[in-house]
Amino acid sequence: MNYFFHIGRYFWMLSKVFARPEKHKMYVKQLFHEIEGLGVNSVGIVVIISLFTGGIMTIQFAYNLMNPIFPSYLIGLGTRDVLILEFSSTILALIMAGKIGSNITSEIGSMKVTEQIDSLEIMGINSISYLILPKIVAVVFIFPFLVILSIFFGLIGGLIVGPFVGVVTLTEYIDGIRYLFVPYYVTFSLIKSLFFGFLVSSVPAYFGYFVQGGALEVGKASTRAVVNTNILILLFDLILTRLLLT
Amino acid sequence: MIEIKNVTKLFDGKPAISDISMQFREGQTNLIIGRSGSGKTVLLKCILGLHEVDQGEILYDGRSFTRMKVKERKEVRRELGMVFQGGALFDSLTVEENVRFPLDMFTTMTTKEKASRVGFCLDHVNLSGANHLYPSEISGGMQKRVAIARAIALNPRYLFCDEPNSGLDPETATLIDDLIQMLTREFNMTTIINTHDMNSVIQIGESILFIHNGEKCWEGTRHNILHSENQILEDFIFANKLYAQMKKEKNKEA
Repeated sequence: MNYFFHIGRYFWMLSKVFARPEKHKMYVKQLFHEIEGLGVNSVGIVVIISLFTGGIMTIQFAYNLMNPIFPSYLIGLGTRDVLILEFSSTILALIMAGKIGSNITSEIGSMKVTEQIDSLEIMGINSISYLILPKIVAVVFIFPFLVILSIFFGLIGGLIVGPFVGVVTLTEYIDGIRYLFVPYYVTFSLIKSLFFGFLVSSVPAYFGYFVQGGALEVGKASTRAVVNTNILILLFDLILTRLLLT
Repeated sequence: MIEIKNVTKLFDGKPAISDISMQFREGQTNLIIGRSGSGKTVLLKCILGLHEVDQGEILYDGRSFTRMKVKERKEVRRELGMVFQGGALFDSLTVEENVRFPLDMFTTMTTKEKASRVGFCLDHVNLSGANHLYPSEISGGMQKRVAIARAIALNPRYLFCDEPNSGLDPETATLIDDLIQMLTREFNMTTIINTHDMNSVIQIGESILFIHNGEKCWEGTRHNILHSENQILEDFIFANKLYAQMKKEKNKEA
Protein backbone atom coordinates (compact mmCIF):
# COMPACT_ATOMS: atom_id res chain seq x y z
CA MET A 1 0.00 0.00 0.00
CA ASN A 2 2.83 2.33 1.00
CA TYR A 3 4.56 1.45 -2.26
CA PHE A 4 1.53 2.55 -4.31
CA PHE A 5 1.40 5.79 -2.31
CA HIS A 6 5.00 6.58 -3.30
CA ILE A 7 4.38 5.70 -6.96
CA GLY A 8 1.31 7.93 -7.02
CA ARG A 9 3.11 10.81 -5.35
CA TYR A 10 6.12 10.39 -7.66
CA PHE A 11 3.89 10.80 -10.73
CA TRP A 12 2.08 13.73 -9.09
CA MET A 13 5.50 15.33 -8.58
CA LEU A 14 6.38 14.73 -12.25
CA SER A 15 3.15 16.43 -13.33
CA LYS A 16 4.25 19.50 -11.35
CA VAL A 17 7.82 19.28 -12.68
CA PHE A 18 6.66 19.69 -16.26
CA ALA A 19 4.36 22.64 -15.56
CA ARG A 20 4.92 25.95 -17.35
CA PRO A 21 7.94 27.78 -15.84
CA GLU A 22 7.40 31.19 -14.22
CA LYS A 23 10.37 32.71 -16.03
CA HIS A 24 12.24 30.75 -18.69
CA LYS A 25 15.39 32.83 -18.30
CA MET A 26 15.79 31.79 -14.65
CA TYR A 27 15.26 28.13 -15.53
CA VAL A 28 17.85 28.28 -18.31
CA LYS A 29 20.31 29.90 -15.90
CA GLN A 30 19.61 27.15 -13.38
CA LEU A 31 19.98 24.51 -16.14
CA PHE A 32 23.53 25.63 -16.98
CA HIS A 33 24.35 25.69 -13.29
CA GLU A 34 23.12 22.07 -12.97
CA ILE A 35 24.93 20.90 -16.13
CA GLU A 36 28.14 22.18 -14.57
CA GLY A 37 27.44 20.90 -11.06
CA LEU A 38 25.99 17.50 -11.88
CA GLY A 39 27.48 16.76 -15.30
CA VAL A 40 30.79 18.47 -15.90
CA ASN A 41 31.92 17.82 -12.33
CA SER A 42 31.29 14.09 -12.87
CA VAL A 43 33.63 13.83 -15.85
CA GLY A 44 36.71 13.21 -13.68
CA ILE A 45 35.23 10.26 -11.78
CA VAL A 46 33.80 8.77 -15.00
CA VAL A 47 37.22 8.92 -16.69
CA ILE A 48 39.02 7.35 -13.71
CA ILE A 49 36.48 4.54 -13.22
CA SER A 50 36.33 3.79 -16.95
CA LEU A 51 40.12 3.71 -17.39
CA PHE A 52 40.54 1.25 -14.52
CA THR A 53 37.53 -0.89 -15.44
CA GLY A 54 38.65 -1.12 -19.09
CA GLY A 55 42.10 -2.23 -17.95
CA ILE A 56 40.74 -4.76 -15.45
CA MET A 57 38.28 -6.21 -17.98
CA THR A 58 41.08 -6.68 -20.49
CA ILE A 59 43.12 -8.69 -17.96
CA GLN A 60 40.07 -10.76 -16.97
CA PHE A 61 39.16 -11.51 -20.59
CA ALA A 62 42.76 -12.52 -21.25
CA TYR A 63 42.66 -14.82 -18.21
CA ASN A 64 39.42 -16.48 -19.37
CA LEU A 65 40.55 -16.78 -23.00
CA MET A 66 43.94 -18.32 -22.22
CA ASN A 67 43.15 -21.37 -24.33
CA PRO A 68 45.09 -21.23 -27.64
CA ILE A 69 41.94 -22.04 -29.63
CA PHE A 70 40.64 -18.53 -28.86
CA PRO A 71 42.28 -15.81 -30.93
CA SER A 72 43.77 -12.96 -28.86
CA TYR A 73 41.73 -10.29 -30.61
CA LEU A 74 38.69 -11.64 -28.74
CA ILE A 75 40.10 -9.85 -25.67
CA GLY A 76 39.58 -6.46 -27.35
CA LEU A 77 36.22 -7.52 -28.74
CA GLY A 78 34.97 -8.70 -25.35
CA THR A 79 36.16 -5.56 -23.59
CA ARG A 80 34.48 -3.36 -26.22
CA ASP A 81 31.13 -5.14 -26.13
CA VAL A 82 30.91 -5.29 -22.34
CA LEU A 83 31.78 -1.61 -22.13
CA ILE A 84 29.20 -0.59 -24.74
CA LEU A 85 26.39 -2.93 -23.78
CA GLU A 86 26.52 -2.89 -20.01
CA PHE A 87 29.30 -1.10 -18.19
CA SER A 88 29.23 2.39 -19.69
CA SER A 89 25.45 2.67 -19.48
CA THR A 90 24.18 0.51 -16.61
CA ILE A 91 27.12 0.23 -14.23
CA LEU A 92 28.00 3.87 -14.78
CA ALA A 93 24.37 4.78 -14.01
CA LEU A 94 24.58 2.80 -10.74
CA ILE A 95 27.74 4.69 -9.82
CA MET A 96 26.20 8.02 -10.81
CA ALA A 97 23.12 7.22 -8.71
CA GLY A 98 25.52 7.27 -5.76
CA LYS A 99 27.26 10.47 -6.77
CA ILE A 100 24.62 12.59 -8.52
CA GLY A 101 21.60 10.97 -6.80
CA SER A 102 22.77 11.49 -3.24
CA ASN A 103 23.84 15.02 -4.16
CA ILE A 104 20.34 15.84 -5.49
CA THR A 105 18.56 14.29 -2.48
CA SER A 106 20.73 16.02 0.09
CA GLU A 107 20.55 19.39 -1.68
CA ILE A 108 16.77 19.41 -2.07
CA GLY A 109 16.26 17.72 1.32
CA SER A 110 18.36 20.37 3.09
CA MET A 111 16.37 23.09 1.35
CA LYS A 112 13.19 21.42 2.56
CA VAL A 113 14.19 21.16 6.22
CA THR A 114 15.55 24.72 6.32
CA GLU A 115 12.28 26.11 4.89
CA GLN A 116 13.94 27.34 1.68
CA ILE A 117 11.31 25.44 -0.32
CA ASP A 118 8.49 27.04 1.69
CA SER A 119 10.15 30.34 0.94
CA LEU A 120 9.95 29.65 -2.82
CA GLU A 121 6.32 28.58 -2.52
CA ILE A 122 5.37 31.73 -0.63
CA MET A 123 6.97 33.83 -3.36
CA GLY A 124 4.52 32.12 -5.74
CA ILE A 125 7.15 29.94 -7.42
CA ASN A 126 6.43 26.32 -8.40
CA SER A 127 9.26 24.98 -6.24
CA ILE A 128 9.00 21.45 -7.64
CA SER A 129 9.49 22.65 -11.18
CA TYR A 130 12.11 25.28 -10.36
CA LEU A 131 14.28 22.90 -8.36
CA ILE A 132 13.76 19.60 -10.16
CA LEU A 133 13.18 20.33 -13.86
CA PRO A 134 16.66 21.82 -14.48
CA LYS A 135 18.24 18.84 -12.72
CA ILE A 136 16.32 16.29 -14.82
CA VAL A 137 17.04 18.09 -18.08
CA ALA A 138 20.72 18.54 -17.14
CA VAL A 139 21.27 14.90 -16.20
CA VAL A 140 19.31 13.47 -19.17
CA PHE A 141 21.30 15.79 -21.45
CA ILE A 142 24.71 15.01 -19.97
CA PHE A 143 24.30 11.25 -19.46
CA PRO A 144 24.80 10.19 -23.13
CA PHE A 145 28.01 12.25 -23.21
CA LEU A 146 29.22 10.55 -20.04
CA VAL A 147 28.43 7.16 -21.59
CA ILE A 148 30.40 7.97 -24.74
CA LEU A 149 33.25 9.28 -22.60
CA SER A 150 33.14 6.12 -20.50
CA ILE A 151 33.25 3.83 -23.56
CA PHE A 152 36.19 5.78 -24.98
CA PHE A 153 38.23 5.82 -21.77
CA GLY A 154 37.33 2.19 -20.99
CA LEU A 155 38.79 1.18 -24.33
CA ILE A 156 41.83 3.37 -23.68
CA GLY A 157 42.23 1.67 -20.28
CA GLY A 158 42.34 -1.74 -22.00
CA LEU A 159 44.69 -0.37 -24.62
CA ILE A 160 47.16 0.80 -21.98
CA VAL A 161 46.90 -2.11 -19.53
CA GLY A 162 46.64 -5.07 -21.99
CA PRO A 163 49.95 -4.54 -23.80
CA PHE A 164 51.60 -3.17 -20.62
CA VAL A 165 51.01 -6.39 -18.63
CA GLY A 166 51.62 -8.47 -21.73
CA VAL A 167 48.28 -10.26 -22.05
CA VAL A 168 47.58 -8.90 -25.54
CA THR A 169 49.53 -6.96 -28.13
CA LEU A 170 48.53 -3.48 -29.18
CA THR A 171 47.68 -4.65 -32.72
CA GLU A 172 45.58 -7.59 -31.50
CA TYR A 173 43.69 -5.38 -29.09
CA ILE A 174 42.94 -2.75 -31.77
CA ASP A 175 41.93 -5.51 -34.21
CA GLY A 176 39.61 -6.86 -31.52
CA ILE A 177 37.86 -3.59 -30.82
CA ARG A 178 37.29 -3.12 -34.58
CA TYR A 179 36.16 -6.70 -35.24
CA LEU A 180 32.42 -7.37 -35.78
CA PHE A 181 31.46 -3.92 -34.54
CA VAL A 182 27.67 -3.44 -34.35
CA PRO A 183 26.83 0.31 -34.36
CA TYR A 184 23.35 -0.47 -32.98
CA TYR A 185 24.97 -1.45 -29.67
CA VAL A 186 26.01 2.18 -29.20
CA THR A 187 22.48 3.35 -30.05
CA PHE A 188 21.13 0.82 -27.54
CA SER A 189 23.52 2.10 -24.89
CA LEU A 190 22.58 5.72 -25.53
CA ILE A 191 18.85 4.95 -25.38
CA LYS A 192 19.41 3.26 -22.02
CA SER A 193 21.42 6.25 -20.82
CA LEU A 194 18.45 8.58 -21.43
CA PHE A 195 16.19 6.41 -19.25
CA PHE A 196 18.85 6.03 -16.58
CA GLY A 197 19.55 9.77 -16.61
CA PHE A 198 15.88 10.40 -15.94
CA LEU A 199 15.82 7.89 -13.07
CA VAL A 200 19.09 9.14 -11.54
CA SER A 201 17.71 12.67 -11.35
CA SER A 202 13.98 12.28 -10.72
CA VAL A 203 13.94 9.49 -8.09
CA PRO A 204 16.48 11.17 -5.74
CA ALA A 205 14.69 14.50 -6.29
CA TYR A 206 11.47 12.81 -5.11
CA PHE A 207 13.12 11.51 -1.95
CA GLY A 208 14.68 14.91 -1.26
CA TYR A 209 11.55 16.93 -1.87
CA PHE A 210 9.34 14.90 0.43
CA VAL A 211 11.80 14.52 3.30
CA GLN A 212 10.40 15.43 6.71
CA GLY A 213 12.35 16.18 9.86
CA GLY A 214 15.96 17.29 10.17
CA ALA A 215 19.49 16.53 9.05
CA LEU A 216 19.25 12.88 10.14
CA GLU A 217 16.24 12.30 7.88
CA VAL A 218 18.04 13.97 4.96
CA GLY A 219 20.86 11.41 5.36
CA LYS A 220 18.38 8.54 5.52
CA ALA A 221 16.53 9.88 2.49
CA SER A 222 19.80 9.99 0.53
CA THR A 223 20.44 6.33 1.30
CA ARG A 224 16.87 5.35 0.36
CA ALA A 225 17.12 7.37 -2.84
CA VAL A 226 20.33 5.63 -3.95
CA VAL A 227 19.00 2.15 -3.12
CA ASN A 228 15.68 2.71 -4.92
CA THR A 229 17.34 4.34 -7.93
CA ASN A 230 19.73 1.38 -8.26
CA ILE A 231 16.85 -1.12 -8.15
CA LEU A 232 14.91 0.87 -10.76
CA ILE A 233 17.98 1.14 -13.00
CA LEU A 234 18.41 -2.65 -12.94
CA LEU A 235 14.70 -3.18 -13.56
CA PHE A 236 14.70 -0.82 -16.54
CA ASP A 237 17.94 -2.39 -17.79
CA LEU A 238 16.17 -5.73 -17.89
CA ILE A 239 13.10 -4.31 -19.61
CA LEU A 240 15.06 -2.27 -22.18
CA THR A 241 17.43 -5.14 -22.96
CA ARG A 242 14.45 -7.42 -23.55
CA LEU A 243 12.71 -4.82 -25.72
CA LEU A 244 15.65 -3.51 -27.71
CA LEU A 245 18.03 -6.45 -28.10
CA THR A 246 15.81 -9.45 -28.72
CA MET B 1 -5.83 44.36 6.02
CA ILE B 2 -5.97 40.60 6.54
CA GLU B 3 -9.07 39.15 8.12
CA ILE B 4 -9.47 35.59 9.34
CA LYS B 5 -12.95 34.29 10.07
CA ASN B 6 -13.62 31.19 12.17
CA VAL B 7 -10.49 29.40 10.93
CA THR B 8 -10.15 25.75 11.93
CA LYS B 9 -7.40 23.36 10.92
CA LEU B 10 -7.51 19.65 11.71
CA PHE B 11 -4.63 17.17 11.75
CA ASP B 12 -5.70 13.52 11.83
CA GLY B 13 -9.18 14.66 12.81
CA LYS B 14 -7.93 16.65 15.81
CA PRO B 15 -8.06 20.47 15.75
CA ALA B 16 -4.66 22.17 15.77
CA ILE B 17 -6.45 25.53 15.72
CA SER B 18 -10.14 26.01 16.14
CA ASP B 19 -12.59 28.79 15.30
CA ILE B 20 -10.12 31.68 15.32
CA SER B 21 -11.23 35.08 14.05
CA MET B 22 -9.17 38.27 13.94
CA GLN B 23 -8.47 41.37 11.90
CA PHE B 24 -4.85 42.31 11.20
CA ARG B 25 -4.68 45.96 10.19
CA GLU B 26 -2.26 47.63 7.80
CA GLY B 27 0.47 49.98 8.96
CA GLN B 28 0.76 48.24 12.30
CA THR B 29 2.59 45.26 13.72
CA ASN B 30 0.13 42.49 14.53
CA LEU B 31 1.46 39.81 16.85
CA ILE B 32 0.31 36.24 17.31
CA ILE B 33 1.56 35.01 20.65
CA GLY B 34 1.26 31.83 22.65
CA ARG B 35 3.22 28.98 24.17
CA SER B 36 5.21 26.56 21.99
CA GLY B 37 2.76 24.10 20.43
CA SER B 38 -0.24 26.40 20.93
CA GLY B 39 -0.94 26.60 17.18
CA LYS B 40 0.76 29.90 16.24
CA THR B 41 2.76 28.46 13.36
CA VAL B 42 -0.21 26.43 12.09
CA LEU B 43 -2.30 29.61 12.02
CA LEU B 44 0.44 31.52 10.20
CA LYS B 45 0.82 28.71 7.66
CA CYS B 46 -2.96 28.69 7.14
CA ILE B 47 -2.92 32.43 6.46
CA LEU B 48 -0.04 31.94 4.02
CA GLY B 49 -1.82 29.04 2.31
CA LEU B 50 0.87 26.52 3.19
CA HIS B 51 -1.88 24.62 5.05
CA GLU B 52 -5.42 24.40 3.68
CA VAL B 53 -7.99 25.38 6.29
CA ASP B 54 -10.75 22.88 7.10
CA GLN B 55 -13.25 25.58 8.07
CA GLY B 56 -13.41 29.35 7.92
CA GLU B 57 -12.16 32.00 5.57
CA ILE B 58 -9.04 34.14 5.07
CA LEU B 59 -9.44 37.52 3.39
CA TYR B 60 -6.63 39.64 1.97
CA ASP B 61 -8.14 43.13 1.68
CA GLY B 62 -11.53 41.55 1.09
CA ARG B 63 -10.24 38.93 -1.38
CA SER B 64 -11.06 35.44 -0.18
CA PHE B 65 -7.74 33.55 -0.25
CA THR B 66 -9.41 30.29 0.75
CA ARG B 67 -11.71 30.33 -2.29
CA MET B 68 -9.08 31.41 -4.81
CA LYS B 69 -7.79 29.20 -7.63
CA VAL B 70 -4.08 28.32 -7.73
CA LYS B 71 -3.31 31.03 -10.30
CA GLU B 72 -5.08 33.73 -8.29
CA ARG B 73 -3.27 32.62 -5.15
CA LYS B 74 0.04 32.98 -6.96
CA GLU B 75 -0.85 36.58 -7.74
CA VAL B 76 -1.61 37.28 -4.07
CA ARG B 77 1.57 35.53 -2.99
CA ARG B 78 3.59 38.03 -5.00
CA GLU B 79 2.23 40.66 -2.62
CA LEU B 80 3.60 38.76 0.39
CA GLY B 81 6.96 38.93 2.09
CA MET B 82 7.98 36.27 4.56
CA VAL B 83 10.76 36.12 7.13
CA PHE B 84 11.25 32.56 8.33
CA GLN B 85 12.46 31.56 11.76
CA GLY B 86 15.81 30.39 10.39
CA GLY B 87 15.99 33.01 7.66
CA ALA B 88 15.55 30.40 4.88
CA LEU B 89 18.13 32.15 2.73
CA PHE B 90 19.31 30.27 -0.35
CA ASP B 91 22.69 28.81 0.66
CA SER B 92 24.12 28.82 -2.83
CA LEU B 93 23.44 32.52 -3.40
CA THR B 94 25.22 35.54 -1.97
CA VAL B 95 23.42 38.14 0.13
CA GLU B 96 22.94 40.31 -2.95
CA GLU B 97 21.69 37.41 -5.07
CA ASN B 98 19.27 36.37 -2.33
CA VAL B 99 17.71 39.84 -2.24
CA ARG B 100 17.73 40.07 -6.05
CA PHE B 101 16.10 36.64 -6.50
CA PRO B 102 12.43 37.78 -6.36
CA LEU B 103 13.29 40.68 -8.67
CA ASP B 104 14.90 38.30 -11.19
CA MET B 105 11.91 36.01 -10.99
CA PHE B 106 9.02 38.41 -11.16
CA THR B 107 10.09 41.73 -12.63
CA THR B 108 11.31 43.00 -15.96
CA MET B 109 13.69 45.47 -14.31
CA THR B 110 17.03 46.18 -15.95
CA THR B 111 20.22 45.05 -14.20
CA LYS B 112 20.83 48.64 -13.08
CA GLU B 113 17.34 48.99 -11.64
CA LYS B 114 17.68 45.68 -9.80
CA ALA B 115 21.04 46.71 -8.37
CA SER B 116 19.51 49.96 -7.19
CA ARG B 117 16.54 48.16 -5.56
CA VAL B 118 18.84 45.62 -3.87
CA GLY B 119 20.98 48.48 -2.58
CA PHE B 120 17.86 50.24 -1.27
CA CYS B 121 16.67 47.11 0.57
CA LEU B 122 20.07 46.32 2.04
CA ASP B 123 20.49 49.97 3.13
CA HIS B 124 17.18 49.75 4.99
CA VAL B 125 18.43 46.79 7.01
CA ASN B 126 21.91 48.30 7.48
CA LEU B 127 23.70 45.64 5.47
CA SER B 128 25.21 47.64 2.64
CA GLY B 129 28.67 46.11 2.92
CA ALA B 130 27.66 42.45 2.97
CA ASN B 131 26.60 42.08 -0.68
CA HIS B 132 29.08 39.43 -1.71
CA LEU B 133 29.01 37.27 1.41
CA TYR B 134 27.23 33.91 1.54
CA PRO B 135 24.63 33.13 4.25
CA SER B 136 27.10 30.77 5.93
CA GLU B 137 29.57 33.67 6.30
CA ILE B 138 27.26 35.99 8.24
CA SER B 139 25.79 35.93 11.75
CA GLY B 140 22.24 34.84 12.66
CA GLY B 141 21.16 38.46 13.17
CA MET B 142 22.55 39.44 9.77
CA GLN B 143 20.78 36.46 8.16
CA LYS B 144 17.48 37.68 9.62
CA ARG B 145 18.15 41.15 8.25
CA VAL B 146 18.94 39.73 4.79
CA ALA B 147 15.69 37.74 5.00
CA ILE B 148 13.84 40.99 5.79
CA ALA B 149 15.57 42.74 2.88
CA ARG B 150 14.53 39.89 0.56
CA ALA B 151 10.99 40.00 1.94
CA ILE B 152 10.60 43.71 1.12
CA ALA B 153 12.34 43.54 -2.27
CA LEU B 154 9.08 43.33 -4.21
CA ASN B 155 7.48 46.06 -2.09
CA PRO B 156 4.95 43.70 -0.46
CA ARG B 157 1.58 44.71 0.96
CA TYR B 158 1.76 41.99 3.60
CA LEU B 159 4.76 40.97 5.69
CA PHE B 160 4.91 37.78 7.76
CA CYS B 161 7.58 36.97 10.30
CA ASP B 162 7.86 33.63 12.08
CA GLU B 163 9.70 34.18 15.37
CA PRO B 164 12.03 36.75 13.79
CA ASN B 165 14.21 37.21 16.85
CA SER B 166 14.51 33.66 18.12
CA GLY B 167 18.09 32.65 18.84
CA LEU B 168 19.31 36.24 18.87
CA ASP B 169 20.88 38.20 21.68
CA PRO B 170 18.58 40.83 23.30
CA GLU B 171 20.27 43.77 21.57
CA THR B 172 20.00 42.23 18.09
CA ALA B 173 16.46 41.04 18.84
CA THR B 174 15.44 44.61 19.71
CA LEU B 175 17.12 45.83 16.53
CA ILE B 176 15.13 43.36 14.43
CA ASP B 177 11.87 44.31 16.17
CA ASP B 178 12.52 48.03 15.59
CA LEU B 179 13.43 47.35 11.99
CA ILE B 180 10.21 45.43 11.32
CA GLN B 181 8.12 48.14 12.95
CA MET B 182 9.91 50.89 11.04
CA LEU B 183 9.43 49.10 7.69
CA THR B 184 5.78 48.36 8.49
CA ARG B 185 5.08 52.05 9.05
CA GLU B 186 7.23 53.29 6.18
CA PHE B 187 5.67 50.98 3.57
CA ASN B 188 2.21 50.79 5.23
CA MET B 189 2.30 46.98 5.21
CA THR B 190 0.03 44.60 7.07
CA THR B 191 2.58 42.83 9.24
CA ILE B 192 1.90 39.63 11.17
CA ILE B 193 4.56 38.41 13.56
CA ASN B 194 4.55 35.05 15.25
CA THR B 195 6.40 35.19 18.54
CA HIS B 196 6.57 34.10 22.15
CA ASP B 197 9.07 36.75 23.08
CA MET B 198 7.53 39.09 25.68
CA ASN B 199 10.07 41.82 24.89
CA SER B 200 8.71 41.97 21.33
CA VAL B 201 5.17 42.00 22.67
CA ILE B 202 5.83 45.02 24.87
CA GLN B 203 7.98 46.80 22.31
CA ILE B 204 6.02 46.43 19.05
CA GLY B 205 2.70 44.74 19.90
CA GLU B 206 0.27 47.22 18.38
CA SER B 207 -2.30 44.44 18.01
CA ILE B 208 -1.98 41.12 19.80
CA LEU B 209 -3.74 37.79 19.38
CA PHE B 210 -3.07 35.29 22.17
CA ILE B 211 -3.65 31.63 21.30
CA HIS B 212 -3.91 28.87 23.87
CA ASN B 213 -4.39 25.20 22.94
CA GLY B 214 -5.34 26.15 19.39
CA GLU B 215 -8.06 28.58 20.47
CA LYS B 216 -8.24 32.36 20.58
CA CYS B 217 -7.81 33.26 24.21
CA TRP B 218 -7.30 37.02 24.24
CA GLU B 219 -7.03 40.00 21.90
CA GLY B 220 -5.63 43.43 22.71
CA THR B 221 -2.60 45.71 22.51
CA ARG B 222 0.71 46.09 24.32
CA HIS B 223 -0.85 48.85 26.38
CA ASN B 224 -3.45 46.63 28.02
CA ILE B 225 -1.74 43.22 27.98
CA LEU B 226 -0.10 43.72 31.39
CA HIS B 227 -3.44 44.62 32.95
CA SER B 228 -5.42 41.76 31.50
CA GLU B 229 -7.70 39.81 33.80
CA ASN B 230 -7.29 36.69 31.66
CA GLN B 231 -5.67 34.09 33.92
CA ILE B 232 -4.15 32.00 31.12
CA LEU B 233 -2.61 35.10 29.57
CA GLU B 234 -1.31 36.21 32.97
CA ASP B 235 0.30 32.81 33.49
CA PHE B 236 1.94 33.14 30.08
CA ILE B 237 3.24 36.67 30.61
CA PHE B 238 4.31 36.38 34.20
CA ALA B 239 6.14 33.12 33.71
CA ASN B 240 8.90 35.59 32.92
CA LYS B 241 10.23 36.82 36.31
CA LEU B 242 11.04 40.23 34.92
CA TYR B 243 7.41 40.89 34.05
CA ALA B 244 6.25 39.40 37.36
CA GLN B 245 8.51 41.94 39.08
CA MET B 246 7.10 44.75 36.86
CA LYS B 247 3.59 43.77 37.87
CA LYS B 248 4.49 43.71 41.57
CA GLU B 249 5.97 47.19 41.29
CA LYS B 250 2.89 48.47 39.45
CA ASN B 251 0.64 46.98 42.10
CA LYS B 252 2.71 48.70 44.82
CA GLU B 253 2.43 52.01 43.01
CA ALA B 254 -1.32 51.55 42.75
